[in-house]
Amino acid sequence: MNVLNIRNVTKTFGDFAAVDNMSLSVREGEIFGFLGANGAGKSTTIHMVSSLLKATKGEIEVLGKNIAKHPRFAKSNIGIVPQDLAIYEQLTAYENVQFFAGLYGLRGSLLKERTEEALEFVGLGDKAKSFPKSFSGGMKRRLNIACAIAHRPKLIIMDEPTVGIDPHSRNYILQSVLKLNEMGCTIIYTSHYMEEVEEICTRIAIVDHGKIIAEGTKEQLKSIVTDTKEIWIGVRSESNISVEKLKNVPGVVSVRIEDGQIKLQSKAEVNNLNEVIQQLIQDNADIRSVEEQAPNLESVFLTLTGRNLRD
Amino acid sequence: MIILHIARKELLRSLRDTRTFMFMLAFPIVLMLILGTALTNAFTTSLTFDDLKLAYKLEDPESQASGYWNEFAKSIEQNGVLVTPLSADEDGKKAVKNGEYAAFAEIKNDGIEFYGSNKLTVESDILQGMVSAFANRYSLAAAGAKQDPASLETLLSEAGSGTYVKETSLQGDTVPDSMDYYAMAMSTMIAFYACMSASQLIRGEKVRNTALRLAAAPISKAELFAGKVIACTLINFLCVIVVVAVSRFAFGANWGDHYGPILIVLFTEVLLAVSLGLGASYLFSGEGGSSAVMTFTQIASFTGGAYFPVNDMTGFWAILAKISPLWWANDALTKIIYSDEVQALWPAVLFNVIFAALFLSLSILFMRRKEAL
Ligand SMILES: Nc1ncnc2c1ncn2[C@@H]1O[C@H](COP(=O)(O)OP(=O)(O)O)[C@@H](O)[C@H]1O
Ligand SMILES: [Mg+2]
Repeated sequence: MNVLNIRNVTKTFGDFAAVDNMSLSVREGEIFGFLGANGAGKSTTIHMVSSLLKATKGEIEVLGKNIAKHPRFAKSNIGIVPQDLAIYEQLTAYENVQFFAGLYGLRGSLLKERTEEALEFVGLGDKAKSFPKSFSGGMKRRLNIACAIAHRPKLIIMDEPTVGIDPHSRNYILQSVLKLNEMGCTIIYTSHYMEEVEEICTRIAIVDHGKIIAEGTKEQLKSIVTDTKEIWIGVRSESNISVEKLKNVPGVVSVRIEDGQIKLQSKAEVNNLNEVIQQLIQDNADIRSVEEQAPNLESVFLTLTGRNLRD
Repeated sequence: MIILHIARKELLRSLRDTRTFMFMLAFPIVLMLILGTALTNAFTTSLTFDDLKLAYKLEDPESQASGYWNEFAKSIEQNGVLVTPLSADEDGKKAVKNGEYAAFAEIKNDGIEFYGSNKLTVESDILQGMVSAFANRYSLAAAGAKQDPASLETLLSEAGSGTYVKETSLQGDTVPDSMDYYAMAMSTMIAFYACMSASQLIRGEKVRNTALRLAAAPISKAELFAGKVIACTLINFLCVIVVVAVSRFAFGANWGDHYGPILIVLFTEVLLAVSLGLGASYLFSGEGGSSAVMTFTQIASFTGGAYFPVNDMTGFWAILAKISPLWWANDALTKIIYSDEVQALWPAVLFNVIFAALFLSLSILFMRRKEAL
């Protein structure tokens, strides 16, 4: 069964279509990745699914029921983790979760039980009585998640839940997503970090300009890539490297420097490695390693849009 | 049930927001203390004494009563009262109405008729005190004279200069002193300040992004709205009660005997303020609602009598005062506290409830139209 059906949905703000005739389905038990650059229309889509915004056109079904006709049913079965932290600073971690879970009709001992369970789940069981003010960024993100899952929704929608946090918390969150999925939740995971999506999602849709430009499993998506290759060159000194000059090498499509690695994308049919390396030697880069990467979602995005996901 | 759940959260959050909460309590109490003590002189009778103007007419200038009156007039003139005899064809009551005198007394053989100004209430109250003190002495003396002429002399000689003034100070309790006044004025002002926190009820959720969670939850906007209005009204009313209690028990302000009606006026005023603040947050976008409400509150406090009494104002200023919800509350409370006119609560309560209903309906209308919150 499909947990979510989006059919020909459009959302316009004035003349601008943030979501443009989008259709997609999410099946029960999936971790569905929703990948796209900033401003692609991911949040807008999610907000329509959770009834924060009304679709200008098209229809949305949650668990087989139209959300415009059965808003309470849809809302009760969804847990949303907003992109920006949505918690009360004056309430303790426990009170935050308790309040939001209570909005879903939980009361008394059941409410208490589920609140504790959710806090325990995100690893904040011992911080129940603390105020978010004393939390690190990662802990706040985890509380943000706890507030969305205590009522045990069938569909959990996470809108960029790992933005701006330390690697440890990020890992914790990714593991939680997998655990929630094992417990039977269907998950929509929105991100502009392709590594995350690649790591945990069972099926992925790539969004650009309000449209889905590709959809499928990782393998299906990567098979799209035939005309670009990605080369990573490890260097000891990156200070003198001119990204501009590298980009001018024939065939090079994009260049970025990350963690002492120069990550180049280039047209597959052009043999330009010699020129690239010559350029780097000129810039005193002190090359340590050169390796060609297998196609990843980044190159899929590049192939489809001609742009980098992070540009 | 969900309404109470929402109200509970709102109460908890507001009570923990200690900075705002302390402001709501400390601000009126400190101001009350400063204005109440600094302006003591402006409220004591001695300052206005020079302006006490009393007109009188003698029905029979040859009578015994008239003789005593003339002595009385002399003695109070020494205390700074301007006593003016009117001729037979002058209309004393009209002159008082026109504000020429604070009071008019007609001395007849069977007693004294006193007519006080309803504009210069403080002055006429003082004069009434003096005249009635005289009348009491006179009738006592007259009664005594029938039996013992000697006692008449002693009684009247006691009524020398100064005595009448002392008697009036006994009456002073029916006139608010400065602390009494500011206790009342600050309470009605802080009741109205509820509109500021109300203007943040929805806006605050948006700023915190929690609006998103609320809109995604299976609750209706009406439930959310009701929970918030209830909590905001309660918390602000609680502040008002604390301010009233502090003024009464710590500063000894006079609140009269009718606490029920006084609290009803204050409660409906909080309700009005909450509705107004909420309405404004829907009418203006962004922080516009808060600024509009803030400006209105300042002006309404000023013209409505929060910083100085406005009851003696005339013309344009009097009309301006009546636009302020604070004026309505202050007017009602003054009458309830000092004249025991309990029914004076009705105009203020009706004013508050009608406008509260109006602003609430407006807010609900706007809220329905909004896509999210
Ligand atoms: N309320 C709004 N009014 C006008 N434009 C909006 C509104 N919300 C989003 N947008 C625009 O719609 C586009 C998609 O935004 P969003 O869905 O937030 O993207 P994403 O979540 O993928 O980063 C952006 O260009 C954004 O500026
Ligand atoms: Mg977004």
